[in-house]
Amino acid sequence: MILSGMTGLNGLRSLSNYKEVYSKDVNWNALINTVKVSLLVMVASVVITFPLAWLIGRTDLPGKKHFRTILVSSYMIPPYVGAIAWTQLLNPSVGYLNNLFSFMFNLDKAPFNIYTISGMIWVLTLFYSPFAFITISRAMEKMDPTLEEAARIAGASPLRTLWDVTLPLMAPSILAGGLLVFIAAGSAFGIPAIVGMPGNIEVLTTRIVTFVYMGDEAGIKNATALAVSLMIIANGLLFFMSWMLGRKDYTTISGKSTRPNIVELGKWKSLTTLLVGGYAFIAVILPLGSIVVTSFMVSMSKGLVWSNFGIDAWIPVITSEQYLESIWRSLGYAFITACIGTVLALFVAYLSVKTSITGRKLPDLLVMLGGSTPSIVIALALIITFSGNYGLNIYSTIWIIIVSYLVKYMTMSVRTIAASLSQVHISLEEAALNSGASWLRCCKDIIMPLIAPSIVAGWFLIFMPSFYELTMSNLLYGADTKTIGVLLYELQTYADTQNASVLSVIILIIVLAGNLLLSKASKGNVAI
Amino acid sequence: MSQIKLEHIYKRFGEVTAVGDFNLTVADGEFVSILGPSGCGKTTSLRMVAGFERATEGVISIGDHIVSSSEGNIFVPPEKRDIGMVFQSYAVWPHMTVAENVAYPLKIKKVAKEERNTRVQEVLGMVHLGDYGNRYPSQLSGGQQQRVALARALVARPGLLLLDEPLSNLDAKLRESMRFEISSLQKKLGITVIYVTHDQAEAMTMSDRIVVMNGGVIQQVGKPYDVYTHPVNKMVADFIGLVNFLPAEAKGDQVILKGTSHTFANLAGIPEGPATLAVRPENIKMSKTGGMIAGVMKHRFYLGDSVDYRVQVQEHIVRVIIKGVQYGTWQDGETVYLDFDKVMMFGNERNNYIIT
Repeated sequence: MILSGMTGLNGLRSLSNYKEVYSKDVNWNALINTVKVSLLVMVASVVITFPLAWLIGRTDLPGKKHFRTILVSSYMIPPYVGAIAWTQLLNPSVGYLNNLFSFMFNLDKAPFNIYTISGMIWVLTLFYSPFAFITISRAMEKMDPTLEEAARIAGASPLRTLWDVTLPLMAPSILAGGLLVFIAAGSAFGIPAIVGMPGNIEVLTTRIVTFVYMGDEAGIKNATALAVSLMIIANGLLFFMSWMLGRKDYTTISGKSTRPNIVELGKWKSLTTLLVGGYAFIAVILPLGSIVVTSFMVSMSKGLVWSNFGIDAWIPVITSEQYLESIWRSLGYAFITACIGTVLALFVAYLSVKTSITGRKLPDLLVMLGGSTPSIVIALALIITFSGNYGLNIYSTIWIIIVSYLVKYMTMSVRTIAASLSQVHISLEEAALNSGASWLRCCKDIIMPLIAPSIVAGWFLIFMPSFYELTMSNLLYGADTKTIGVLLYELQTYADTQNASVLSVIILIIVLAGNLLLSKASKGNVAI
Repeated sequence: MSQIKLEHIYKRFGEVTAVGDFNLTVADGEFVSILGPSGCGKTTSLRMVAGFERATEGVISIGDHIVSSSEGNIFVPPEKRDIGMVFQSYAVWPHMTVAENVAYPLKIKKVAKEERNTRVQEVLGMVHLGDYGNRYPSQLSGGQQQRVALARALVARPGLLLLDEPLSNLDAKLRESMRFEISSLQKKLGITVIYVTHDQAEAMTMSDRIVVMNGGVIQQVGKPYDVYTHPVNKMVADFIGLVNFLPAEAKGDQVILKGTSHTFANLAGIPEGPATLAVRPENIKMSKTGGMIAGVMKHRFYLGDSVDYRVQVQEHIVRVIIKGVQYGTWQDGETVYLDFDKVMMFGNERNNYIIT
């Protein structure tokens, strides 16, 4: 399945139409915008998250555990929900924050406009910087703290230590985190579509969707040319990244696990707490608050007054057949995808970790390639492959959507299961076989119980993103397969802010519940 | 060069007291080891001297300066304590060459480049790494990385050198030669050293004095010979060297070995009641004809330079080690008579000192 999806795209790598596509200004500008925006988002994310990771990991910042949870949790908010929130906060006509600032400083004009390139960079940074934060914090946790202590005892101040030791040692991980953000921002569709398109700012992903919507062969051809550029950028960077991380051997013998030396912030404590708290508030609490508040407003035009609050907006949504249907549909699709995906992931992981068949790593590699390919490229490849060109037509059925989810999301599940499978030492299996158990019996009695938590975690890692997926569903849905992500996107495009907010809150509740279950199942080791 | 003084040091992590009432004065130029099982608080004590942990109570002074005082609210950060330190994990910076690693403390002190290079070469020569300056740590063996760490700790000529289990990641042969090397470097430089280890052989061979810790409390401070021959309690007797414990009874000025009529003078002043006699395996003589107590030979382990015997005495197994080849002299199942020399005795009220 994965293979055919990929070959479908490869077959269409006819270079002849590139010149034609990029000779149009709008396409060329989209490419430039993508690179420019992603680059700025990457730089901004690293500049913001490295100090955050250091403050939370290495200093006596008060409440740092809560800050970490809040910052990481923005990773599980669907990006388009974040985009909707920020359009509510900063749109030039009725944005809550704009109104607040206009009122406070007596301005004639709204101070901010979200529908600009800077607006787009702002929202993308807030919602994709957790990639950098997680990568950098993990690397910081893994670093032997005595390397820093050795600098302190040599006479270096905490800041000097940060500059001379921590920063250079972390450089590969910082770059890796930055590149992940770059790729994610470049492949994003939801945020550019909701924040950029109303201001006529196009990036590659939005151009691709526009071309596909044309519906004719020329449209597909142009879309493919753009998609291939995007894929080359994304996968090329990923390969560069893994090469770079594998190149420098910074592993050192680590001693007993001493707690990292906690830097005392002293007189800077209140200022840094204020800054970190402010960031957490702006990045997570403010947008979520905005969505929730909007969903409980009776009428958008009456503004934030007490009498204007009620559950009026909720009633049409939770009684509407159409809305409920797509919620159940998305849950169902995610469930089917997660079940098929977990079984496949189990096989792929077992093949790659536990067997010695030639080419055993190939399925693993393909799954990884699928995961690293931008969603929009996968969707396009599936359209080309499964619209009957190759004898199989599943276009606008649920199966094309499920295949797309599998291609995109199986990789996390395979990684999780493979990691736990590789920790089951071969001697444990040999001991079971030696005690007289058959191979199947050994799987059932020894391997399965040991990797069960990772299987559950792997299931959720497919289920959650599949549930709120937008980019691929938006290209692949048919009349009877409209998912909740697509529905929400439509509501937002038709400016039905309140219903969009209600639906967003429902999605957030389901995502939150799923994450609680996930962290319970994996005993806190895995969360989205 | 400095005298180190720790007075009534306590370290608490929440409810847990990791170190309780730690008192120690290390003389200028002295080599003191802190020895104890893992989790005994020895590393925490060392890290308080280094400034990586803040003592909850008490005063620490290095030379004439108080570096930590809970009452005076004084806390000098590690970088201002003028200390050299070697870590168990070496903590050699992988992104700097050997010479850059060693030069770092001088660079921080803004020592001029020429002098810096001279001193780096000098100290690298001391640890036999004169030709390795341009290498990166990943190109060195564990033992060589350890020497780089040592050179880096010594280059700024600190008054005090702290070593935190520096040899425990090395293989046995290297460990032994490094012991000798560290020891002779210390003598040559006359530097004060506090050395943390769980390996009694390291502590015995290198130190002027040993501090035995258990459960966060100092059990005994003394010269290696004194600690070995006159342990203050069962924990120290058991932790340093090998020992057999045998039940006894204290009565007046005599201690009677249980199951026999044999008595020892109660020189330790043990109160009346149940007591314990302790004797080291090398201080037991075996005979076929007679002795203090009879037993049955159970097992013999031939070790080359000695034989390790296990003799059943009543319900206990007594370990006897005799140097030289005597393997054939004794047979399993044979009745043997044991004579104890240098017997130590302890009351049964407690086995070691605990946090009060």
